[in-house]
Order: sequence, then structure tokens, then C-alpha cells
Amino acid sequence: MHFTTESGIPVAHTWELEARQISKRFPGGTYALQDINWGVKQGDTMALIGESGSGKTTLLRLLNRLIEPSSGTILIQGKPAKNQDPITLRRRLGYVPQDGGLFPHWTIRHNVCLVPQLLGWTADQQLERLNTLLPLVNLEPEQIADRYPIELSGGQRQRIAVSRALAADPPIVLLDEPFGALDPLTRHDLQEQFLSLKTQLHKTMVLVTHDISEAFKLADRITILKEGRIQQVGTPQELLKNPATPYVQSLIESHESA
Amino acid sequence: MPPWNFPLQKLFTFFLLVLSLPVGGLLTPPVAAENTITVGSKNFMENRLLAELFAQLIESRTHLKVARRLGLAGTQVCFEALRTGGIDLYPEYTGTGLVTILGEVPMNEPSAVLNQVRAQFLKKWDLWWLAPLGFDNSYALALRRDRAETLGVRTISDLVEIAPSLRAGFGYEFIERQDGLPGLQGKYGLKFKEVVGMQETLKYQATANGDVDLLDVYTTDGRLFVYDFLILEDDRHFFPPYDATALVRGETLKRYPELASVLSLLTNALTPERMRKWNLKVQEQGEPVTRVAREMLQDLHLLTDFKPSPTPSQQQNSQSLFVYMWNMRGTLAIRTGEHLGLAGLGLLLGIALAVPLGLMLERWRKGAETMIRIIGMSQTIPSIALLAFMIPLFGVGTLPAIMALWIYSLFPILRNTFSGLRDAAPNVVETGRALGMTEWQILRSVRLPLAAPTIMAGIRTSAIWTLGTATLAAFIGSGGLGVPIVAGLQLADVNLILSGALPATILALAVDALLSWIERLVQPRGLEASQ
Repeated sequence: MHFTTESGIPVAHTWELEARQISKRFPGGTYALQDINWGVKQGDTMALIGESGSGKTTLLRLLNRLIEPSSGTILIQGKPAKNQDPITLRRRLGYVPQDGGLFPHWTIRHNVCLVPQLLGWTADQQLERLNTLLPLVNLEPEQIADRYPIELSGGQRQRIAVSRALAADPPIVLLDEPFGALDPLTRHDLQEQFLSLKTQLHKTMVLVTHDISEAFKLADRITILKEGRIQQVGTPQELLKNPATPYVQSLIESHESA
Repeated sequence: MPPWNFPLQKLFTFFLLVLSLPVGGLLTPPVAAENTITVGSKNFMENRLLAELFAQLIESRTHLKVARRLGLAGTQVCFEALRTGGIDLYPEYTGTGLVTILGEVPMNEPSAVLNQVRAQFLKKWDLWWLAPLGFDNSYALALRRDRAETLGVRTISDLVEIAPSLRAGFGYEFIERQDGLPGLQGKYGLKFKEVVGMQETLKYQATANGDVDLLDVYTTDGRLFVYDFLILEDDRHFFPPYDATALVRGETLKRYPELASVLSLLTNALTPERMRKWNLKVQEQGEPVTRVAREMLQDLHLLTDFKPSPTPSQQQNSQSLFVYMWNMRGTLAIRTGEHLGLAGLGLLLGIALAVPLGLMLERWRKGAETMIRIIGMSQTIPSIALLAFMIPLFGVGTLPAIMALWIYSLFPILRNTFSGLRDAAPNVVETGRALGMTEWQILRSVRLPLAAPTIMAGIRTSAIWTLGTATLAAFIGSGGLGVPIVAGLQLADVNLILSGALPATILALAVDALLSWIERLVQPRGLEASQ
């Protein structure tokens, strides 16, 4: 793979997702994010961790242009996001929200096949995809395809949300606290399944979480955010060995004591 | 394939359904066709009777056709209708023209009053007062005769001393008019213990029962034959003369000159005694206005081809409600059609404006609350007042009523459309956006289907409101089931009132049931269990 910067000069380090000098200021003057330089390698799972207000969700929403930065550039696969049509861009980025975000008035089939349908796939292609995807998240297509979200358990709904994000086979998947609202047992099951999916599919993923254990368990690399600034980026090992700030230190201690 | 069209199609089907309802009601005759004279009247019996008299005289002595707009709500409504051309003529009283319409001080001399109003009306509006019919229907104060004797009063001056111990039952218009209570109090220095505003018929009964001590009467009121009341002498000449005659548009007289000569046949033809007798027939004996008007023309030898009408008169009061309504079924069916037409069209226009406006406001949140509050204020205008406001703008008849009902229907639909869309599962909407749906796709496939039950509930509320308010449309001559209710109130005829009120109630219940069924229909599947 070969990537270039905007100026056309090849760079040694290429990112699948990149933030350059990103700041996001809210009306009123407070900064949600300040001077962020950050990147995710192709095929990596990056966890974004921090308290509420740390800017982790803001960073995620900048990636698929749900919000725009006050200054700086977001690059998706090397191209500035602002030069891409947001609708087309979002259809290439899978998305799993915290509560599943399933459309309550649509069947499971309809929910899962949303993006393929938006992309104009034929009914047969959609059906074939549905029959591949649901077993991937341990669900039986025949049993579940024609049911409505209200008829499923919370864990089942979250699996559907994951399979919907994967439906059009996007290279990148964004997950916003995907397992946050589940009971511990179900969360454990889904985390295991996530790991197996991760090894099967080789997607670039960004996972927002406030649970340090989850980050350690699921991510290849972790970004720790506090009050709109990056505290440290590194693999779980690096964080354990060399915590960059007292905050990172305290976070890791809380993980070890848990 | 796209199943997300489902609830929307249902909504459209419903709109078409509603659209087809009012067509039947709209077939009421339009105003002012060629060679047609529109005769109006106020909403009390003598005025109706005179209007009917004019109408029949014109029909029998000219080749003109007559459209009737009888029972318009009060002087202002009638006069506005005449001025704006909604009607061509109506019976008016010189004193009312002077005091109520021109706003001038009361005068005593009948011919001076006539000359004054004639000159002013011509100059200002090109409206003509024809020669007086021969009777003066003035206001007067009256007491039960035995009560008057006990108290020893004969004149209004006698009343001044004892007034602080008396309860008065006065008509609403009398209480407000300068030539009524306010002027009277000023002239005589009267101060009553209490003044109760009352409907015409009730006022007589209350005085007879002794619930109130005195009342205001029209001197030609037929009920003065029935009740033994003493009319107090207006010894200081406060009440101006109220000579009755036709008030006609100059334009109409120019186009149909024969109208003036035919109506002048009635000059000085009606005496106060005769008028009282005819009024009595309508007020207390329940004879239809049309038949009494015909008898009057015959008495005056103005009809050449008079045949006594075959039906005996005193039949309807003894009938049971059901039989009564069955006999009236033709009229009632037409009234119900008109009613549905008025309410349906008002509602339909309301949907046509409020739903798109709700969509717009949802996009433009900043102004939304203000806008909704402004529209909401229309709800606080009393419905009868709103109807009356429409007269100067749209004349009388169907159009002003539909406009008023339209304004009334807006608020619930607008509010529900706005809040339904705003509150339609915001997290799901955000997810749709994040997955690459366009705003239009989100609106069409997510927000509208999820908001459909809420929007439908707003439409349902509006439908019931407009159906209820449509009964008041009778006051401005728009037909509907309010017509028998209003007429029944004037005649104190319970059957007549119920023959309008009962179908109106059933209609409201039926429409409510129908709409609640549709509300369930537009409820998207998958939401049922969560409700």
C-alpha cells in the first residue's frame, strides 16, 4: 500500500485514519478537543478511553463527519474527509452505537440490509449477505430475520447492530461504547465474539469505551484522553510499562485492582 | 421492495378518504347567481319573519329568484354582510341604524331618525332605507302586572327609587347597546341590585316565575299577549324610534329597479298589533316562518294566488323526538352533509398547512416555539368571535366558516407534527445519519413513520374540535347541524334543538372512532409492544 500526503510527498508512516492538528471548540468557547495529532494503522483496533467529557466520542464523530472540526484535518485512508461527500463516506464506515440504534419499525432483515440497500444491491445480494452475516454473530437467519427489534433481547439486538455495521463490508468500523448497556455476562459473551470477528475480518476499528478492562481486552492500541487532550497512545503493554502521566498511572491501577 | 413506505401510504389513503367526505356538503347553492336576490336576517324571530315576507313578496311579484340567509348572528354580522355584498337586503330598524351602526346619540323624532340614517347610509355605503313598514319595534321595560301594582310603578321614573332592590333579566344585546341599558342608566340614573344577562325566551319565563323582577321587551313581541306584563312608560323619551323597514344595497336597486316598487307595497302596511299577533304565531305557537309570512301576504292582499296550506299547524310539538327526526330526515341529512363538509374542508386545509409547517419548523428549531405559540393563540379566540371576524373578510355563508374552522384546526396538528418529529427516537435518527442515510431518507423512512401516530392523534383532536365548532357556523349563515340548534333555542323547541345536537354528537363520536382506528393503522409494526 502506498499513501501520499496532500502535498504529494510520500510519507514513511501511513495511517488508515488520521487526525492532524484537530481542535473542536464548542459555542461558548470550551474545547472538546485541542491540538490532536493521532492515527490508526490499517487493520488495527484502536480503543478511545476517557471519562465523559474527555472528547472520545467527539473524536469518533469527527471521523464520519457527524460533526466538523473547528480547525485541523481528518484523513480517511489518506484523503481529507472534508473533500469527500459525507453520505458516501459514511456508507464506507461501519457504525455501532451504544444502544444498538435499531430502527424499531423495521424487521431485522431490513435493519441489517440498510446500507446494502442504500448502495443499491439487488434483493438476492442482500439476502445472501444476511445469511452470511447473522451466523457470524451467532444468530439463525430463519429464526430472526422477520422479527422486530422489540422482540429480541438486549444482547441479540447488539449483535444485529454489529452485523448491520458489517453489512456492506466496510474497511473501517466505528463503535461507540457498543457493549456499555449490557449486563456483565452478555457483555463477556459479546466481547469474546468481537475478538473472534476481529481475527476473522481484519477491519480497522475504533472503539470508544469508558471501561479500561474492555480496552485492554479488545484493542491492539489504546488512546487515553483527558479534558480534550491525548495523555498517551500505545499498546496495552506499553501503557503498563511506561505510563506517561499520573492520570494514566491511576487508570491502570484501577484496571489492575478490578 | 422498500417496506418503509407502508405507513405513509396509509396516511395518503386517509387523506383521500377525508377529501371525499366534504364533497357532498359543498353542493349548497352558491351566493349571488344571476337574477338572484339574497335576503338576510338577524337571529330573532320577527326579523326572520320580515325577511321571509320580503322574500316571498319578491318571489311572487317579480321574476327574480331569492336566496335566503336567515338567522345571522346579530346586527354587526348582518350589516357587514350587506355592506360587503354577501346579502342584498335585510330588515333593519331605524333606531338600530342610528345608534348601533352609526354610533350616534339617540333621537326621539321618528322622521328625523329616518332622514338621518337615510342620508348617512347613502353617503357612506350606498345603502338605502326604504319607506317604513308602519310599526315601531322599540325597546321597553316591563314588569309582571301584579308586581307593578304592588310596587306602584307606571313609568320608568317611578322605578328609579326602588331599582336598588330589584333584579333585572336583560338580553345580552340590550345590556351592551348605547340605546339599551348603558344609555338608560345615564338618562334616568337607574341602578339595579343585579342585572342578569339572559337568552330571549328564558327572560320571559324567569320574569313570569318571579326569578327576576323586570325585563327588556320588544314592543311588538308576540309573547306580550301570553304573559300579563305591564310596559313602563318611557316618560323621559329615552328609547329612540325603531321603525322597521328593508335596508337594501344601492347597487341591487339599480340593477333590479322593480325591487323598490315591490317592497314599497309594504309601506305602512304593518301595524304594531298585527305584528305582535304574527310574532306570537311563530314564537309561541310554533308555526313555520314560511307559512306565517304567506298568511301575512294574504292578509295584506298582496298575493293573488294564495292557497291555504294543507298541513295542520299544531302537530309537531306533540311528536316524540324519534318521529320528529324521522319526518325531518331529508333536511337532517342535508344538514349533516353540510356539517361534514364544513368541518372536513376546514380540517383538510388545516392538515395541508400544519403538517408541512410542522416539518419546516422541525428544521428551523429556533423559531419553532414562537411560531407554535402564535398559532396557539388562535385557539384562545372564542369560536363565535373568530367566526364573526371572518365576515368582513369573506362575507357570509360557507367560506368564512371554513376559514375560521381552518384556523381552529391548525394548532393541534402543528404541535403534534412538530413534537412527533422532534421526539421520534433521536438516537435512531442519529444512527441512520451515521450509516449514510440522507436527511430526506431519514425523514421519509424513519421520522415520519415513527411520528405518524402522534401526527394522527393531532389530526383526531382537530377533527373533534372542528366538528364541534361547526355547529356555531349557523350563526353566520353557513348551514350545518347548528341551524336546528340555533332555531330551536330561539323557539324554545327542545325537539328542534335535539334534532341538531343529537346527530352532531353521533357524528363526533363516529369520526373519533374512525380516526382512532386509522391511528392504530398508521402505528408502525414493531412499536405495538412498546406502547
